[in-house]
Amino acid sequence: MRPILAIAMLSGALAAPGGLRGDDWPEFHGPGGRGVAANAAIRTTWSETEGIAWKADLPGRSTSSPIVVGDLVVTTASSGAKQDRLHVIALDKATGTPRWERSFWATGRTLCHPTSAVAAGTPASDGKRIVALYSSCDLFCLDLEGRLLWQRNLAVEHPKSGNDVGMGSSPRIVGDAVVVQIDCQGDAFAAAIDLATGVDRWTAPRDRMANWSSPLAVATDAGPAVLLQNGRGLELRRLADGGEVWRWEGDCAGIATTVAAEGMFFIPAGGIAAVPVGGREPVWRAAKLSPGIASPVAWDGSIACLNRGGVLVVGNTADGDIRGQVRLAGTFWASPIVVGDTIVAVNTEGKTFLVAVDDKPEIVAENQLPGTFTATPAVADGSVYLRSETALWKVAAPQ
Amino acid sequence: MTRRRTIFVSTILAAAGLVGLRGVVAGPDEGIAADVARLAAAAPGADQATLAAAADRLAAIAADGIRPPLAALGGATPAGANWLRSGLDRAAERLGAALDADTLAGLVADKQLAPRSRSLAFGWLESRDPARAAALLGGMLDEEALDLRRLAVAKLLADAAAGDAAAQAAAHRRALAAARDVDQMEAIATWLTEHGEPTDVAGVLGFVRRWQVSGEYDNVGGVGFAKAYPPEEGGAVPAAGDWKPFLSSHKHGEIDLNAAVATKKGVLAYAVAEVELPAAGRAEVRIGSPCAVAVWVNGRQVMAHEIYHASEAIDQYVAATEFRQGANTVLVKCCQNEQTEPWAGEWKFQLRITDPLGRPLATQRAEEPK
Repeated sequence: MRPILAIAMLSGALAAPGGLRGDDWPEFHGPGGRGVAANAAIRTTWSETEGIAWKADLPGRSTSSPIVVGDLVVTTASSGAKQDRLHVIALDKATGTPRWERSFWATGRTLCHPTSAVAAGTPASDGKRIVALYSSCDLFCLDLEGRLLWQRNLAVEHPKSGNDVGMGSSPRIVGDAVVVQIDCQGDAFAAAIDLATGVDRWTAPRDRMANWSSPLAVATDAGPAVLLQNGRGLELRRLADGGEVWRWEGDCAGIATTVAAEGMFFIPAGGIAAVPVGGREPVWRAAKLSPGIASPVAWDGSIACLNRGGVLVVGNTADGDIRGQVRLAGTFWASPIVVGDTIVAVNTEGKTFLVAVDDKPEIVAENQLPGTFTATPAVADGSVYLRSETALWKVAAPQ
Repeated sequence: MTRRRTIFVSTILAAAGLVGLRGVVAGPDEGIAADVARLAAAAPGADQATLAAAADRLAAIAADGIRPPLAALGGATPAGANWLRSGLDRAAERLGAALDADTLAGLVADKQLAPRSRSLAFGWLESRDPARAAALLGGMLDEEALDLRRLAVAKLLADAAAGDAAAQAAAHRRALAAARDVDQMEAIATWLTEHGEPTDVAGVLGFVRRWQVSGEYDNVGGVGFAKAYPPEEGGAVPAAGDWKPFLSSHKHGEIDLNAAVATKKGVLAYAVAEVELPAAGRAEVRIGSPCAVAVWVNGRQVMAHEIYHASEAIDQYVAATEFRQGANTVLVKCCQNEQTEPWAGEWKFQLRITDPLGRPLATQRAEEPK
């Protein structure tokens, strides 16, 4: 392990892989996992009959988020009485027409809680390939034409991996590898897998405990690294060899995932703990910034969290001071994102709140769609992509 | 396959058909046999680029070459089945109408093919000719492909819905005999009960309900899971004085150890049952529990899962093992930990013994096991 203070985070997240376009939304919670589309503008009103570019019914159930890669919108689903049919679906971004669909059989466990799904993890792309990880611990890598490049049946290789509540961690592309976090009470491990070959670069044992947070790509002066979170804290591992370069111990959330911005980690741990990489003590803690299921979002000096009561709290990243809060209706599984200076938050009942955050948060629009929505929205080219458990909606870009 | 999925796949096929007119269709290729064998045997560590190239060649096969790779699904490894499917689905997409309904109906009916193979062919048929596919379901109540059997059961009930009460009841009785999915079986049993034919759900699903229970034993800090207490040392034969009978009246055959032993944390208990099987051979032990469990059959351990309070489900853990004709002894070790959350108070299990398709096999004598 390297001396802790020798590690300094160079930026909030790694630069996007070269194959991606600037407007792509290639992974869980958007580029770098930050949940931010800084320069975008979206329409403010829509409904089932207004402002919708297209709607696509999907061949199964999912709680995963869509991703946008080039001219494709990609999502996942599972179907069948035992939800053991796994689907990767690529839709034409302009029309919503299916471009291709690939189906596989699950090789691991497919039990899960009704609020989750076998297709819970959001796929990820480097602009050339798509990786999809399911609760069955099956990991598939396809090209943009739907050609299977490699697969890993991780529950076959690690027979006690899995969680009957449902695994929810999304795969994260870090450099030229995909990192998966298989946290469970059985065979718990993390692995960095070469994107080109599907071969392990390294595996690392994990605490035998359930967890649903996702890995985070981090650029450090030690090279590309990946942040792994569970209920006992964070560990930062080098992408090259999996070596641990930093560790932070604390009672972290089991679902909401740490966000990196402005040289800090904003950690869901009994509120938010703002910890610089290489540091031991939080620079600040804010109990009122308390993410529930949803991951926090940090942008341009601000941080926002949606708590379990549906209250959106906004504070300053510099000191954790609370600037304001607003109560949104309903329950939230989807994480909020920021588009321009507006927070977009969709509740499980399909109502999307647009919240302006000039200083204090203020609801500026509420737009209803039918269905159950637990997936975090995606944004690309001024369009919002909202996925219910069984359908995908594209909200048209503003005129 | 749902209507929603049929429409979705049909849309892709329509697009693929247009592409196919411009594409090059490969003819029969003896090299495909080697590719199919390589794909079917895919195992962890296999070179993925080689497999992807083989799947590409499989995706280019002609319609008359579809059966051999479809048949290979039957003996394929888990990875191999997905590699084969990736190539086969691409081939079916590309072939479009050239892979015609007659061919597909023949493949669905071909009992030489594995259930998974016929199920895949059924999906292709359904996307091309839903009515033709639906018509095949009438003969699939004894289907080994459980997804097709499920559709057949659903169709039987849907077709009977327009009939009179007697016809509907007869259809439900027939459907119950055919069904293997727990949710479907329970729904049918419930319908029969609500329509004047009391049907015991736990009995229909075959839960073992009559047990002898021994406990509690120490499991503070989880120490008991790997520790062999006397019941598992002695081949699971209940010793006098340490056991008490417990008969489950729960709809799903649950053995509530909080009731049978005590409401405690950091403890474990054993439960033993004598079950009768009609014939010697392999059968599946299917157990569900929110707690850590281990199971022995006739003194031989068949499974162990040290998982606490991470959901539960009927048939959560399944292990196939040998049974004797007649009496067999099943021993369950069920461990409670010290979690304090409200939802972590449950200490229970449910168990049934079935054939590989889910048909209950075990019965119990009315009297307590000796």
